[in-house]
Amino acid sequence: MKRQADGLNRRQFLKSSAIAVGALAAVGAGVGYLQKVTTEKRINQNFLRPPGAIEETTFIYACIKCGLCIQICPVKAIKFAGIKDGLAYGTPYIDAREQACDLSCDSIQCVETCPTAALYFVPFKNAGEKAIEAYDKTHKIDANYNPFPVQIKAMKRQVKMGVAKVNDKTCLAVLGKGFKGTPRGNDFKGINRSPYGNSPKATPLRDKHYDEKICDICVKECPMGEEAIVLDKHTRADGTVGYKPKVLDGCVGCGVCVMVCPTEEPSIIVEPLTAS
Amino acid sequence: MFGKKNTTPIPAKTKEEMPYVKAGMSFKAWREKYGGRHKWRTIRWAVLIGINGLFILSFMLDLSMLEGSLSGSRLIGFYLMDPFNTLQQLVISFYTGHWVHLTMNFVIGDGTIFIFYFLMGGRTFCSWICPYHFLAEWGERLHNYLVKKKKIKEHTYNRYLRYVFWVGFLLLAFFTQNLVFEDLNPVGIISRAMIYGPGLILLWILLLITFEIVHSKRFWCRYVCPIGATYSMVGQLSPFGVKFELDKCAHCLDCQNVCLVPHELWFVERGKATSKRHDVGADCTRCGLCIDVCPGHALSYTVKGWDKIL
Repeated sequence: MKRQADGLNRRQFLKSSAIAVGALAAVGAGVGYLQKVTTEKRINQNFLRPPGAIEETTFIYACIKCGLCIQICPVKAIKFAGIKDGLAYGTPYIDAREQACDLSCDSIQCVETCPTAALYFVPFKNAGEKAIEAYDKTHKIDANYNPFPVQIKAMKRQVKMGVAKVNDKTCLAVLGKGFKGTPRGNDFKGINRSPYGNSPKATPLRDKHYDEKICDICVKECPMGEEAIVLDKHTRADGTVGYKPKVLDGCVGCGVCVMVCPTEEPSIIVEPLTAS
Repeated sequence: MFGKKNTTPIPAKTKEEMPYVKAGMSFKAWREKYGGRHKWRTIRWAVLIGINGLFILSFMLDLSMLEGSLSGSRLIGFYLMDPFNTLQQLVISFYTGHWVHLTMNFVIGDGTIFIFYFLMGGRTFCSWICPYHFLAEWGERLHNYLVKKKKIKEHTYNRYLRYVFWVGFLLLAFFTQNLVFEDLNPVGIISRAMIYGPGLILLWILLLITFEIVHSKRFWCRYVCPIGATYSMVGQLSPFGVKFELDKCAHCLDCQNVCLVPHELWFVERGKATSKRHDVGADCTRCGLCIDVCPGHALSYTVKGWDKIL
Protein backbone atom coordinates (compact mmCIF):
# COMPACT_ATOMS: atom_id res chain seq x y z
CA MET A 1 0.00 0.00 0.00
CA LYS A 2 2.73 2.44 0.92
CA ARG A 3 6.22 2.84 -0.35
CA GLN A 4 7.74 3.09 3.09
CA ALA A 5 5.88 0.03 4.20
CA ASP A 6 7.15 -1.88 1.18
CA GLY A 7 10.69 -1.10 2.20
CA LEU A 8 9.95 -2.57 5.58
CA ASN A 9 12.33 -5.44 5.29
CA ARG A 10 13.63 -7.83 7.83
CA ARG A 11 16.84 -5.96 8.46
CA GLN A 12 15.10 -2.65 9.11
CA PHE A 13 12.66 -4.36 11.40
CA LEU A 14 15.42 -5.95 13.44
CA LYS A 15 17.35 -2.70 13.58
CA SER A 16 14.30 -0.78 14.76
CA SER A 17 13.38 -3.37 17.35
CA ALA A 18 16.90 -3.40 18.68
CA ILE A 19 16.84 0.39 19.00
CA ALA A 20 13.50 0.43 20.81
CA VAL A 21 14.38 -2.32 23.24
CA GLY A 22 17.86 -0.93 23.81
CA ALA A 23 16.68 2.63 24.38
CA LEU A 24 13.88 1.66 26.72
CA ALA A 25 16.14 -0.66 28.67
CA ALA A 26 18.73 2.10 28.99
CA VAL A 27 16.12 4.61 30.15
CA GLY A 28 14.64 2.08 32.55
CA ALA A 29 18.02 1.22 34.03
CA GLY A 30 18.88 4.92 34.31
CA VAL A 31 15.64 5.69 36.09
CA GLY A 32 16.04 2.75 38.41
CA TYR A 33 19.55 3.82 39.29
CA LEU A 34 18.58 7.44 39.85
CA GLN A 35 15.65 6.38 41.94
CA LYS A 36 17.92 4.37 44.18
CA VAL A 37 20.56 7.08 44.43
CA THR A 38 18.59 10.29 44.60
CA THR A 39 15.28 9.59 46.29
CA GLU A 40 16.72 9.20 49.76
CA LYS A 41 19.06 12.11 49.24
CA ARG A 42 16.24 14.31 48.09
CA ILE A 43 14.02 13.43 50.99
CA ASN A 44 16.78 14.06 53.49
CA GLN A 45 18.16 17.23 52.03
CA ASN A 46 16.74 20.69 52.45
CA PHE A 47 14.21 20.37 49.67
CA LEU A 48 11.40 22.60 50.74
CA ARG A 49 8.30 21.88 48.68
CA PRO A 50 5.59 24.52 48.12
CA PRO A 51 2.58 24.60 50.47
CA GLY A 52 0.22 21.67 50.33
CA ALA A 53 2.80 19.32 48.81
CA ILE A 54 1.78 15.71 49.26
CA GLU A 55 4.12 12.98 50.39
CA GLU A 56 7.37 12.96 48.41
CA THR A 57 7.07 9.56 46.74
CA THR A 58 3.62 10.48 45.43
CA PHE A 59 4.58 14.06 44.70
CA ILE A 60 7.32 12.94 42.34
CA TYR A 61 4.82 11.48 39.87
CA ALA A 62 1.80 13.62 40.70
CA CYS A 63 3.69 16.74 39.64
CA ILE A 64 3.64 17.09 35.87
CA LYS A 65 6.20 19.92 35.91
CA CYS A 66 3.92 22.42 34.25
CA GLY A 67 5.10 25.41 36.28
CA LEU A 68 1.69 26.86 37.08
CA CYS A 69 2.56 27.21 40.76
CA ILE A 70 5.79 28.98 39.81
CA GLN A 71 3.88 31.30 37.57
CA ILE A 72 1.19 32.25 40.03
CA CYS A 73 3.41 32.92 43.05
CA PRO A 74 3.41 36.70 43.52
CA VAL A 75 6.77 36.74 45.30
CA LYS A 76 8.34 34.21 42.89
CA ALA A 77 9.41 31.97 45.74
CA ILE A 78 8.98 28.70 43.81
CA LYS A 79 11.69 27.44 41.50
CA PHE A 80 12.24 24.46 39.22
CA ALA A 81 14.67 21.79 40.38
CA GLY A 82 17.52 21.35 37.93
CA ILE A 83 18.99 18.28 36.32
CA LYS A 84 21.40 17.78 39.22
CA ASP A 85 18.43 16.73 41.32
CA GLY A 86 18.01 13.66 39.15
CA LEU A 87 14.46 12.46 38.88
CA ALA A 88 13.22 15.50 40.74
CA TYR A 89 14.12 17.53 37.66
CA GLY A 90 11.40 20.03 36.90
CA THR A 91 9.58 19.73 40.22
CA PRO A 92 8.99 22.89 42.24
CA TYR A 93 10.83 23.78 45.42
CA ILE A 94 11.45 26.82 47.56
CA ASP A 95 14.89 28.16 48.32
CA ALA A 96 13.89 29.96 51.49
CA ARG A 97 17.22 31.69 51.94
CA GLU A 98 16.90 33.43 48.57
CA GLN A 99 13.17 34.01 48.52
CA ALA A 100 10.86 32.59 51.14
CA CYS A 101 7.16 31.98 50.77
CA ASP A 102 5.90 34.92 52.81
CA LEU A 103 2.20 33.97 52.54
CA SER A 104 1.39 37.47 51.35
CA CYS A 105 -0.65 36.05 48.48
CA ASP A 106 -3.58 35.62 50.87
CA SER A 107 -5.22 32.78 49.01
CA ILE A 108 -2.50 30.11 48.66
CA GLN A 109 -3.01 30.14 44.87
CA CYS A 110 -0.11 27.81 44.15
CA VAL A 111 -2.08 25.02 45.77
CA GLU A 112 -5.35 26.00 44.19
CA THR A 113 -3.83 26.17 40.72
CA CYS A 114 -2.28 22.70 40.76
CA PRO A 115 -4.35 20.55 38.38
CA THR A 116 -2.95 17.21 39.52
CA ALA A 117 -3.27 17.74 43.26
CA ALA A 118 0.46 17.36 43.80
CA LEU A 119 -0.24 20.44 45.88
CA TYR A 120 -3.44 19.31 47.50
CA PHE A 121 -6.04 22.03 47.98
CA VAL A 122 -8.88 20.18 49.70
CA PRO A 123 -7.55 20.54 53.28
CA PHE A 124 -7.10 24.27 52.71
CA LYS A 125 -10.60 24.64 51.37
CA ASN A 126 -12.05 22.68 54.27
CA ALA A 127 -10.09 24.63 56.86
CA GLY A 128 -11.26 27.91 55.34
CA GLU A 129 -14.88 26.85 55.23
CA LYS A 130 -14.79 25.56 58.77
CA ALA A 131 -13.33 28.85 59.96
CA ILE A 132 -16.09 30.82 58.24
CA GLU A 133 -18.74 28.59 59.74
CA ALA A 134 -17.38 29.13 63.23
CA TYR A 135 -17.03 32.85 62.62
CA ASP A 136 -20.59 33.09 61.29
CA LYS A 137 -22.01 31.76 64.53
CA THR A 138 -20.77 34.72 66.53
CA HIS A 139 -20.35 37.53 64.03
CA LYS A 140 -23.21 37.29 61.56
CA ILE A 141 -25.01 40.27 63.03
CA ASP A 142 -21.85 42.32 63.35
CA ALA A 143 -21.79 45.51 61.28
CA ASN A 144 -18.16 44.94 60.35
CA TYR A 145 -18.82 41.39 59.24
CA ASN A 146 -15.83 40.23 57.23
CA PRO A 147 -15.02 36.54 57.27
CA PHE A 148 -12.12 36.70 54.84
CA PRO A 149 -9.28 37.43 57.26
CA VAL A 150 -10.51 34.55 59.39
CA GLN A 151 -10.66 32.25 56.41
CA ILE A 152 -7.21 33.27 55.18
CA LYS A 153 -5.69 32.80 58.60
CA ALA A 154 -7.19 29.33 58.85
CA MET A 155 -5.87 28.46 55.41
CA LYS A 156 -2.40 29.70 56.24
CA ARG A 157 -2.38 27.58 59.37
CA GLN A 158 -2.99 24.62 57.10
CA VAL A 159 0.34 25.24 55.31
CA LYS A 160 2.79 22.74 56.71
CA MET A 161 5.94 22.83 54.67
CA GLY A 162 8.33 22.24 57.51
CA VAL A 163 9.39 23.40 60.93
CA ALA A 164 11.95 26.08 61.75
CA LYS A 165 14.92 25.21 63.90
CA VAL A 166 17.27 27.67 65.60
CA ASN A 167 21.00 27.15 65.60
CA ASP A 168 22.04 28.16 69.14
CA LYS A 169 25.70 28.51 68.23
CA THR A 170 25.30 31.37 65.78
CA CYS A 171 21.96 32.99 66.61
CA LEU A 172 22.57 36.64 67.52
CA ALA A 173 19.81 36.63 70.14
CA VAL A 174 21.25 33.61 71.89
CA LEU A 175 24.67 35.26 71.82
CA GLY A 176 23.05 38.33 73.35
CA LYS A 177 23.81 40.53 70.35
CA GLY A 178 21.67 43.09 68.63
CA PHE A 179 21.43 44.00 64.98
CA LYS A 180 21.55 47.32 63.21
CA GLY A 181 21.11 47.84 59.49
CA THR A 182 19.77 45.79 56.60
CA PRO A 183 19.89 42.07 57.33
CA ARG A 184 20.92 40.72 53.93
CA GLY A 185 22.75 43.65 52.44
CA ASN A 186 21.73 46.14 49.80
CA ASP A 187 21.96 43.77 46.84
CA PHE A 188 19.57 41.18 48.20
CA LYS A 189 16.59 40.65 45.92
CA GLY A 190 14.22 38.89 48.33
CA ILE A 191 10.89 40.47 49.23
CA ASN A 192 8.35 39.94 51.96
CA ARG A 193 5.32 41.56 53.54
CA SER A 194 5.88 42.47 57.14
CA PRO A 195 3.01 41.58 59.44
CA TYR A 196 3.37 44.96 61.16
CA GLY A 197 3.63 47.05 58.00
CA ASN A 198 0.85 48.80 56.13
CA SER A 199 1.85 47.74 52.65
CA PRO A 200 -0.66 45.32 51.07
CA LYS A 201 2.14 43.88 48.94
CA ALA A 202 5.52 42.40 49.66
CA THR A 203 8.38 44.91 49.64
CA PRO A 204 12.12 44.40 49.16
CA LEU A 205 13.99 43.39 52.27
CA ARG A 206 16.87 45.69 51.34
CA ASP A 207 14.61 48.73 51.95
CA LYS A 208 14.07 47.77 55.57
CA HIS A 209 16.29 48.93 58.39
CA TYR A 210 16.43 47.48 61.83
CA ASP A 211 17.90 48.68 65.03
CA GLU A 212 17.42 45.95 67.60
CA LYS A 213 19.13 45.73 70.96
CA ILE A 214 18.56 42.00 70.89
CA CYS A 215 18.14 40.65 67.36
CA ASP A 216 14.56 39.51 66.91
CA ILE A 217 14.04 40.05 63.19
CA CYS A 218 12.78 36.52 62.62
CA VAL A 219 10.16 36.99 65.33
CA LYS A 220 9.10 40.37 63.94
CA GLU A 221 8.82 39.27 60.32
CA CYS A 222 7.11 35.92 60.89
CA PRO A 223 3.85 35.98 58.92
CA MET A 224 2.21 33.65 61.41
CA GLY A 225 3.13 35.89 64.33
CA GLU A 226 3.11 34.85 67.94
CA GLU A 227 1.61 31.47 67.34
CA ALA A 228 4.72 30.37 65.43
CA ILE A 229 7.74 32.04 67.03
CA VAL A 230 8.40 34.19 70.07
CA LEU A 231 11.53 35.65 71.63
CA ASP A 232 11.88 33.63 74.79
CA LYS A 233 13.40 35.50 77.73
CA HIS A 234 14.92 33.45 80.49
CA THR A 235 17.23 33.93 83.43
CA ARG A 236 20.36 31.82 83.40
CA ALA A 237 21.85 30.11 86.43
CA ASP A 238 24.36 32.94 86.90
CA GLY A 239 21.60 35.52 87.04
CA THR A 240 22.09 37.06 83.58
CA VAL A 241 19.16 37.34 81.17
CA GLY A 242 19.27 35.17 78.05
CA TYR A 243 17.18 35.28 74.91
CA LYS A 244 16.26 32.70 72.34
CA PRO A 245 13.76 32.61 69.48
CA LYS A 246 11.41 29.82 70.38
CA VAL A 247 9.62 27.99 67.60
CA LEU A 248 6.07 26.95 68.51
CA ASP A 249 3.57 24.51 67.07
CA GLY A 250 2.09 27.20 64.86
CA CYS A 251 5.18 27.27 62.66
CA VAL A 252 4.25 26.44 59.07
CA GLY A 253 7.78 26.32 57.71
CA CYS A 254 7.36 29.20 55.28
CA GLY A 255 11.01 30.16 55.67
CA VAL A 256 10.69 33.93 56.08
CA CYS A 257 12.85 33.66 59.21
CA VAL A 258 15.52 31.91 57.14
CA MET A 259 15.45 34.67 54.57
CA VAL A 260 15.65 37.56 57.01
CA CYS A 261 18.28 36.07 59.32
CA PRO A 262 21.23 38.50 59.25
CA THR A 263 24.02 36.05 60.05
CA GLU A 264 26.35 34.84 57.27
CA GLU A 265 24.90 31.35 57.40
CA PRO A 266 21.26 31.41 58.48
CA SER A 267 20.99 30.74 62.20
CA ILE A 268 17.51 29.45 61.70
CA ILE A 269 16.65 26.85 59.09
CA VAL A 270 13.48 25.13 58.02
CA GLU A 271 13.47 21.37 58.13
CA PRO A 272 11.09 20.15 55.44
CA LEU A 273 8.24 18.04 56.63
CA THR A 274 9.15 15.39 54.08
CA ALA A 275 12.27 14.70 56.12
CA SER A 276 10.30 13.25 59.00
CA MET B 1 -7.31 4.31 7.06
CA PHE B 2 -11.05 4.11 7.69
CA GLY B 3 -13.74 3.68 5.09
CA LYS B 4 -11.43 2.79 2.28
CA LYS B 5 -13.42 0.78 -0.20
CA ASN B 6 -11.57 0.92 -3.45
CA THR B 7 -8.10 -0.59 -3.12
CA THR B 8 -7.25 -1.16 -6.77
CA PRO B 9 -5.28 1.76 -8.22
CA ILE B 10 -6.93 3.66 -11.00
CA PRO B 11 -4.87 3.65 -14.24
CA ALA B 12 -2.00 6.12 -14.40
CA LYS B 13 -2.65 9.42 -16.14
CA THR B 14 -1.45 9.88 -19.70
CA LYS B 15 0.85 12.74 -20.59
CA GLU B 16 -2.03 14.73 -22.08
CA GLU B 17 -3.81 14.63 -18.73
CA MET B 18 -0.86 16.16 -16.87
CA PRO B 19 -1.53 19.66 -15.55
CA TYR B 20 1.61 21.19 -17.08
CA VAL B 21 0.64 19.93 -20.55
CA LYS B 22 -2.81 21.40 -20.08
CA ALA B 23 -1.17 24.69 -19.13
CA GLY B 24 0.96 24.47 -22.24
CA MET B 25 4.29 24.51 -20.42
CA SER B 26 7.24 22.21 -19.99
CA PHE B 27 7.31 20.29 -16.70
CA LYS B 28 10.40 22.14 -15.48
CA ALA B 29 9.09 25.61 -16.21
CA TRP B 30 5.69 24.80 -14.73
CA ARG B 31 7.23 23.40 -11.56
CA GLU B 32 9.51 26.39 -11.15
CA LYS B 33 6.75 28.89 -11.78
CA TYR B 34 4.11 27.51 -9.47
CA GLY B 35 6.00 25.44 -6.87
CA GLY B 36 7.92 26.44 -3.78
CA ARG B 37 5.67 28.98 -2.12
CA HIS B 38 6.05 29.79 1.58
CA LYS B 39 2.61 31.01 2.53
CA TRP B 40 1.61 28.36 5.06
CA ARG B 41 5.09 28.03 6.47
CA THR B 42 5.12 31.74 7.27
CA ILE B 43 1.70 31.57 8.89
CA ARG B 44 2.64 28.44 10.83
CA TRP B 45 5.91 29.82 12.14
CA ALA B 46 4.12 32.99 13.17
CA VAL B 47 1.58 30.94 15.12
CA LEU B 48 4.29 28.74 16.68
CA ILE B 49 6.45 31.66 17.73
CA GLY B 50 3.37 33.61 18.80
CA ILE B 51 2.07 30.90 21.11
CA ASN B 52 5.45 30.15 22.65
CA GLY B 53 6.07 33.88 22.93
CA LEU B 54 2.78 34.32 24.72
CA PHE B 55 3.94 31.77 27.30
CA ILE B 56 7.14 33.71 27.83
CA LEU B 57 5.46 37.10 27.98
CA SER B 58 2.80 35.82 30.36
CA PHE B 59 5.50 34.92 32.84
CA MET B 60 7.78 37.90 32.25
CA LEU B 61 5.11 40.59 32.26
CA ASP B 62 2.59 38.78 34.46
CA LEU B 63 0.00 38.92 31.68
CA SER B 64 -2.05 35.91 32.86
CA MET B 65 -2.85 35.07 29.24
CA LEU B 66 -1.16 31.71 28.74
CA GLU B 67 0.44 30.47 31.93
CA GLY B 68 2.38 27.35 32.77
CA SER B 69 4.23 25.48 30.05
CA LEU B 70 3.42 23.05 27.27
CA SER B 71 3.22 20.25 29.86
CA GLY B 72 0.19 21.89 31.40
CA SER B 73 -1.11 25.39 31.04
CA ARG B 74 -3.93 27.80 31.58
CA LEU B 75 -5.31 29.90 28.75
CA ILE B 76 -7.07 32.89 30.33
CA GLY B 77 -8.05 30.76 33.30
CA PHE B 78 -8.95 27.73 31.20
CA TYR B 79 -6.81 24.64 31.78
CA LEU B 80 -5.02 22.67 29.06
CA MET B 81 -3.07 19.49 29.69
CA ASP B 82 -0.48 17.53 27.76
CA PRO B 83 -2.16 14.22 26.83
CA PHE B 84 0.80 11.87 27.21
CA ASN B 85 1.76 13.42 30.50
CA THR B 86 -1.74 12.85 31.82
CA LEU B 87 -1.76 9.32 30.44
CA GLN B 88 1.38 8.50 32.43
CA GLN B 89 -0.15 10.22 35.43
CA LEU B 90 -3.33 8.15 35.15
CA VAL B 91 -1.47 4.88 34.63
CA ILE B 92 0.44 5.43 37.88
CA SER B 93 -2.31 6.99 39.93
CA PHE B 94 -4.98 4.44 39.06
CA TYR B 95 -2.64 1.90 40.62
CA THR B 96 -1.67 3.94 43.67
CA GLY B 97 -5.07 5.51 44.23
CA HIS B 98 -3.95 9.10 43.75
CA TRP B 99 -6.45 9.55 40.92
CA VAL B 100 -9.32 10.32 43.30
CA HIS B 101 -7.57 13.57 44.19
CA LEU B 102 -7.10 14.75 40.60
CA THR B 103 -8.94 18.03 40.18
CA MET B 104 -11.75 19.10 37.93
CA ASN B 105 -9.25 21.32 36.13
CA PHE B 106 -7.34 18.17 35.20
CA VAL B 107 -10.46 16.76 33.55
CA ILE B 108 -11.30 20.06 31.87
CA GLY B 109 -7.75 20.43 30.58
CA ASP B 110 -7.67 16.95 29.13
CA GLY B 111 -11.16 17.18 27.68
CA THR B 112 -10.44 20.49 25.99
CA ILE B 113 -7.23 19.24 24.43
CA PHE B 114 -8.90 16.04 23.31
CA ILE B 115 -11.85 17.79 21.67
CA PHE B 116 -9.72 20.52 20.11
CA TYR B 117 -7.22 18.15 18.57
CA PHE B 118 -9.92 15.70 17.59
CA LEU B 119 -11.38 18.49 15.46
CA MET B 120 -8.13 20.04 14.29
CA GLY B 121 -6.29 16.80 13.54
CA GLY B 122 -4.17 15.52 16.41
CA ARG B 123 -0.67 16.12 15.17
CA THR B 124 -1.49 19.69 14.26
CA PHE B 125 0.08 20.30 17.66
CA CYS B 126 3.42 19.04 16.38
CA SER B 127 3.95 21.49 13.55
CA TRP B 128 1.92 24.45 14.76
CA ILE B 129 2.89 24.60 18.45
CA CYS B 130 5.75 22.23 19.38
CA PRO B 131 8.99 24.22 19.79
CA TYR B 132 11.11 21.14 19.16
CA HIS B 133 9.52 20.74 15.74
CA PHE B 134 10.71 24.23 14.90
CA LEU B 135 14.28 23.38 15.90
CA ALA B 136 14.11 20.06 14.09
CA GLU B 137 12.94 21.74 10.90
CA TRP B 138 16.22 23.64 10.81
CA GLY B 139 18.11 20.49 11.74
CA GLU B 140 16.39 18.77 8.84
CA ARG B 141 17.66 21.40 6.40
CA LEU B 142 21.20 20.88 7.59
CA HIS B 143 20.72 17.13 7.41
CA ASN B 144 19.40 17.33 3.84
CA TYR B 145 22.36 19.47 2.85
CA LEU B 146 24.82 16.98 4.34
CA VAL B 147 23.11 14.07 2.62
CA LYS B 148 23.15 15.94 -0.69
CA LYS B 149 26.87 16.61 -0.31
CA LYS B 150 27.32 12.90 0.45
CA LYS B 151 28.92 13.68 3.82
CA ILE B 152 26.54 11.34 5.61
CA LYS B 153 24.18 8.50 4.78
CA GLU B 154 20.45 8.61 5.36
CA HIS B 155 19.15 6.10 7.91
CA THR B 156 15.51 5.17 8.19
CA TYR B 157 13.70 3.09 10.75
CA ASN B 158 10.35 1.47 11.07
CA ARG B 159 7.78 4.14 11.81
CA TYR B 160 5.81 1.84 14.10
CA LEU B 161 8.74 2.24 16.49
CA ARG B 162 6.76 5.14 17.96
CA TYR B 163 4.11 2.82 19.28
CA VAL B 164 6.71 0.59 20.87
CA PHE B 165 8.08 3.65 22.65
CA TRP B 166 4.55 4.76 23.51
CA VAL B 167 3.81 1.50 25.31
CA GLY B 168 7.35 1.32 26.67
CA PHE B 169 7.24 4.73 28.30
CA LEU B 170 3.86 3.99 29.86
CA LEU B 171 5.22 0.74 31.26
CA LEU B 172 8.31 2.51 32.56
CA ALA B 173 6.13 5.13 34.21
CA PHE B 174 4.08 2.41 35.83
CA PHE B 175 6.97 0.35 37.13
CA THR B 176 9.14 3.20 38.36
CA GLN B 177 6.23 5.34 39.60
CA ASN B 178 7.76 8.32 37.94
CA LEU B 179 6.88 10.44 34.93
CA VAL B 180 9.90 9.05 33.10
CA PHE B 181 9.09 10.53 29.74
CA GLU B 182 8.73 14.03 31.14
CA ASP B 183 12.42 13.93 32.09
CA LEU B 184 13.31 13.33 28.44
CA ASN B 185 10.49 15.19 26.73
CA PRO B 186 12.00 17.90 24.49
CA VAL B 187 8.64 19.69 24.25
CA GLY B 188 8.42 20.22 27.99
CA ILE B 189 12.14 20.82 28.42
CA ILE B 190 12.35 23.50 25.74
CA SER B 191 9.10 25.07 26.85
CA ARG B 192 10.24 25.28 30.48
CA ALA B 193 13.70 26.48 29.47
CA MET B 194 12.22 29.29 27.39
CA ILE B 195 9.77 30.41 30.03
CA TYR B 196 11.56 29.82 33.32
CA GLY B 197 15.19 29.96 32.30
CA PRO B 198 17.60 27.44 30.79
CA GLY B 199 19.34 24.58 32.56
CA LEU B 200 21.88 21.89 31.90
CA ILE B 201 19.16 19.60 30.61
CA LEU B 202 19.30 21.51 27.33
CA LEU B 203 22.39 19.42 26.57
CA TRP B 204 19.99 16.55 26.01
CA ILE B 205 18.19 18.61 23.36
CA LEU B 206 21.53 19.39 21.75
CA LEU B 207 22.34 15.68 21.68
CA LEU B 208 19.00 14.87 20.10
CA ILE B 209 19.25 17.48 17.40
CA THR B 210 22.83 16.48 16.62
CA PHE B 211 21.75 12.88 16.28
CA GLU B 212 19.01 13.94 13.89
CA ILE B 213 21.41 16.00 11.82
CA VAL B 214 24.17 13.43 11.45
CA HIS B 215 22.25 10.16 11.55
CA SER B 216 18.55 9.98 10.83
CA LYS B 217 16.24 12.71 9.56
CA ARG B 218 13.66 13.82 12.16
CA PHE B 219 14.45 10.77 14.30
CA TRP B 220 12.60 11.91 17.42
CA CYS B 221 9.43 13.14 15.72
CA ARG B 222 9.20 10.21 13.34
CA TYR B 223 10.19 7.25 15.44
CA VAL B 224 10.11 8.11 19.14
CA CYS B 225 7.86 10.90 20.36
CA PRO B 226 4.93 9.38 22.27
CA ILE B 227 3.21 12.77 22.41
CA GLY B 228 3.02 12.74 18.63
CA ALA B 229 1.81 9.14 18.76
CA THR B 230 -0.93 10.11 21.22
CA TYR B 231 -2.02 13.03 19.09
CA SER B 232 -1.97 10.78 16.05
CA MET B 233 -4.48 8.52 17.79
CA VAL B 234 -6.60 11.46 18.92
CA GLY B 235 -6.76 12.82 15.37
CA GLN B 236 -7.65 9.52 13.76
CA LEU B 237 -11.10 10.69 12.69
CA SER B 238 -10.58 14.41 12.62
CA PRO B 239 -12.43 16.39 9.97
CA PHE B 240 -9.72 18.99 9.37
CA GLY B 241 -6.91 17.85 7.13
CA VAL B 242 -5.16 17.93 3.81
CA LYS B 243 -6.87 16.64 0.68
CA PHE B 244 -5.34 15.50 -2.57
CA GLU B 245 -6.82 15.91 -6.05
CA LEU B 246 -5.37 13.55 -8.60
CA ASP B 247 -6.31 15.69 -11.60
CA LYS B 248 -3.98 18.50 -10.55
CA CYS B 249 -1.01 16.27 -9.68
CA ALA B 250 2.02 15.84 -11.94
CA HIS B 251 3.70 13.19 -9.74
CA CYS B 252 6.78 15.32 -9.12
CA LEU B 253 7.00 13.97 -5.53
CA ASP B 254 8.15 17.32 -4.19
CA CYS B 255 5.54 16.96 -1.45
CA GLN B 256 6.99 13.66 -0.25
CA ASN B 257 10.43 15.19 -0.08
CA VAL B 258 9.38 17.97 2.29
CA CYS B 259 6.98 15.84 4.35
CA LEU B 260 7.70 14.69 7.89
CA VAL B 261 5.54 11.61 7.32
CA PRO B 262 5.95 10.79 3.59
CA HIS B 263 4.19 7.47 3.97
CA GLU B 264 0.96 9.41 4.40
CA LEU B 265 1.40 10.81 0.89
CA TRP B 266 1.62 7.38 -0.75
CA PHE B 267 -1.05 8.27 -3.32
CA VAL B 268 0.97 10.99 -5.03
CA GLU B 269 3.15 8.43 -6.75
CA ARG B 270 2.31 7.63 -10.33
CA GLY B 271 -0.24 4.87 -10.61
CA LYS B 272 -0.79 4.47 -6.84
CA ALA B 273 -3.90 6.54 -6.24
CA THR B 274 -7.07 4.54 -5.86
CA SER B 275 -9.49 7.41 -6.27
CA LYS B 276 -9.62 10.91 -7.71
CA ARG B 277 -9.49 12.36 -4.23
CA HIS B 278 -7.56 11.27 -1.17
CA ASP B 279 -7.40 12.54 2.38
CA VAL B 280 -4.06 12.48 4.16
CA GLY B 281 -4.06 10.18 7.19
CA ALA B 282 -3.80 10.81 10.92
CA ASP B 283 -0.01 10.96 11.07
CA CYS B 284 -0.14 14.17 9.02
CA THR B 285 0.88 17.22 11.07
CA ARG B 286 -1.07 19.64 8.87
CA CYS B 287 2.10 21.68 8.51
CA GLY B 288 1.24 22.77 4.98
CA LEU B 289 4.72 22.26 3.53
CA CYS B 290 3.30 19.97 0.83
CA ILE B 291 0.58 22.52 0.05
CA ASP B 292 3.22 25.20 -0.38
CA VAL B 293 5.52 23.12 -2.51
CA CYS B 294 2.91 21.63 -4.87
CA PRO B 295 3.07 23.35 -8.26
CA GLY B 296 -0.36 22.10 -9.32
CA HIS B 297 -2.22 23.02 -6.10
CA ALA B 298 -3.24 19.39 -5.90
CA LEU B 299 -2.95 19.47 -2.12
CA SER B 300 -5.02 21.82 0.03
CA TYR B 301 -6.52 22.17 3.50
CA THR B 302 -10.02 20.88 3.84
CA VAL B 303 -12.75 20.20 6.34
CA LYS B 304 -14.14 16.81 5.47
CA GLY B 305 -17.81 16.92 4.67
CA TRP B 306 -17.85 20.71 4.59
CA ASP B 307 -15.69 21.45 1.57
CA LYS B 308 -18.54 20.86 -0.84
CA ILE B 309 -20.86 23.16 1.07
CA LEU B 310 -18.39 25.97 1.61
